[in-house]
Amino acid sequence: MTWRYVELLAIGAAVTAGVSIVAILLGLGLGVLVCSASLARSGAVRAAGRLYISFFRGSPLLVQLLMIYYLLPAAGINVPSLVAAVLGLALCTAAYQAENLRGGFLSVAPGLIEAAQMLGMAPWRILLRIRLPIALRLTLPAVLNEAIMILKASSLVSVVGVEELTRSAQNLATSTYRPIPIYAAAGAFYLILNRLLAGGGGVLRRMLG
Amino acid sequence: MKFDVGLILSWIPAALAGLEITIAVWLAGGLCALALGFGVAAARRFGGALVDRALTLYVALIRDTPFLIQLFLLYYGGPFVGLELEPYQAGLIGLTVYGSAYFAEIIRAGFEAVPVGHQEAAICAGLTRAQMVRRILLPEMALLVLPPVVNMQILLLKETAVLSIVTVPELTMTLTSLGSEHFAFAEALSLLAGLYWVLVEVTGALGRFAERRLARLSFAA
Amino acid sequence: MAAALQVRRLGKRFGAHAVLREIDLAVREGEVTCIVGPSGSGKSTLLRCMAFLEAPSEGEITVYGAPLGFRVTESGERQRLPDSDVARVRRNIGMVFQQFNLWPHMTALGNVAEALRQVRRLPRREAEARAMAQLAKVGLAERARHYPSQLSGGQQQRVAIARALAMEPRIMLFDEPTSSLDPELTGEVLNVMRELARAGMTMAVVTHEIGFAATVAQHIVFLDDGRILLEGTPQSVFAQPWHPRLAQFLETYIDRGAAVLLQGAPA
Repeated sequence: MTWRYVELLAIGAAVTAGVSIVAILLGLGLGVLVCSASLARSGAVRAAGRLYISFFRGSPLLVQLLMIYYLLPAAGINVPSLVAAVLGLALCTAAYQAENLRGGFLSVAPGLIEAAQMLGMAPWRILLRIRLPIALRLTLPAVLNEAIMILKASSLVSVVGVEELTRSAQNLATSTYRPIPIYAAAGAFYLILNRLLAGGGGVLRRMLG
Repeated sequence: MKFDVGLILSWIPAALAGLEITIAVWLAGGLCALALGFGVAAARRFGGALVDRALTLYVALIRDTPFLIQLFLLYYGGPFVGLELEPYQAGLIGLTVYGSAYFAEIIRAGFEAVPVGHQEAAICAGLTRAQMVRRILLPEMALLVLPPVVNMQILLLKETAVLSIVTVPELTMTLTSLGSEHFAFAEALSLLAGLYWVLVEVTGALGRFAERRLARLSFAA
Repeated sequence: MAAALQVRRLGKRFGAHAVLREIDLAVREGEVTCIVGPSGSGKSTLLRCMAFLEAPSEGEITVYGAPLGFRVTESGERQRLPDSDVARVRRNIGMVFQQFNLWPHMTALGNVAEALRQVRRLPRREAEARAMAQLAKVGLAERARHYPSQLSGGQQQRVAIARALAMEPRIMLFDEPTSSLDPELTGEVLNVMRELARAGMTMAVVTHEIGFAATVAQHIVFLDDGRILLEGTPQSVFAQPWHPRLAQFLETYIDRGAAVLLQGAPA
């Protein structure tokens, strides 16, 4: 292992971090919408929310990534593979986050919402200011856990041609013919990214009390 | 974009063959992972401080790195340390090791969730430690971990798709190669997602059925 | 009367914190000994030491003369006895917990029969017949096939009592047996305990039910801050309401119908 290899892996790790963070945030936002849909009063909206969760939790992320990568262009939508990768990760993690948040939303005491309604708050404001913060606080461990899962799962976007950590490691392993130190180093980079993410989550947890 | 249903129908035999390999490698890997995970959790609980610390590190290393990297290390790195593995062997071992870390955590939490009082009651009734573990601790733990274990098995089922990357001829590999052969990705990927979806939903339904059957054994006082 | 269970100079520390200090106590054969006192006074710890669920830090406990957990040698040294010895001495003791601690994966009958089968090695049929008889004694024969989650708290505690009785202990220990029950369910458990006392069972009961203590116990032990402050018959203990700590303690029970105690308990 020379410094050059470590440098190349570090660049890959930076891409992994960027892709993951955007996908995590996008996925969480989308997850809130999907979750609200799955708990909506309207039967059709509820069914759509449930179907979304069922589909994205019901098939492997790899298959979903391949679908976006191959099917968007076939439908005449051309996006760079980086965008397809982030989109795929976000769409998938949204389903898991929606399911995580569900329990939290369901355990918000109805009285709190009634109190907000009596004060004349609009439904979307109640969602954003009352229900979401309470639900998020209750489900934060699961939400953070899913964020870590998606960081690790982002290694799969190497398959659709994004030059991230796993792809860099693969390239280096084939060119140097030394897979063990290269993949071990890549693993170490993932471990560090995970710990950083977990540490950030810990800070967030303390902030939310 | 055209969608050729006839093509999908013609693939069904090949898809079923791939599905069979997926299910076989999943069941074998999932069960081995559960057994190894149980071993790790039991060793951590009963094996002393040093064993506990070593296995904590094992669990952390596995859980903090992607399955794909572990698989590459095993499949491509193996030959360098005298471990020439067939793709499906690498897949099976990879799945076992990867799953074991998660199952170990689930089972550790399960052990901790069994109320100490239930164990004290057994000791007071005169049961020996071994009897207490066998008759009280293990069954109660098993009851508690059933839902997360089913959940993890479903996650492992989905992880088997990753084995296609190291050329295990399972469902994903079978259908993606058919898709590129006929340049019919929409058909191949729809069938692929559909088959996984059915498998996941059926497994989930079975798990929920088992949970309902066991619900009266719950801890609700 | 002879002491069934004798506690001598017992002390218990958790870290630097002394929970129990210099406890001397005799649970006499055929008597009901009630241990009362404010929360945090160490009552439950004392009872748990008497079952050796907690290892005492100092002192000695003997059950019918046999040392439990530790033996004090002639030179005053404490020797830890092997687990098999602890188990043997413990066979004299039945324990009932505040949280019932029924095993959730077994029916009421299974809970009562378990130790008969595993410890006594009775065949299944006989173990279940005996378990059934015990359940009948606590009035729950028709609930035998129910799982704990399908029983009320009072019923669960009666099953727990039957479970302990099935092993035919000579001493029964009760650790706040009604404290996690709704008030309307405590009666059924106390009635079972009253029956047991009337039949001559040797019992040590940690309880907040002062009425029960005053009417059923022959021996009251008032524990305060890890020490025995007062002990004796209910009449002699509860007739000392001038004692500042006891007065303070009893005051909290006045509104729970304990006023009657201050006029003296029935003989």
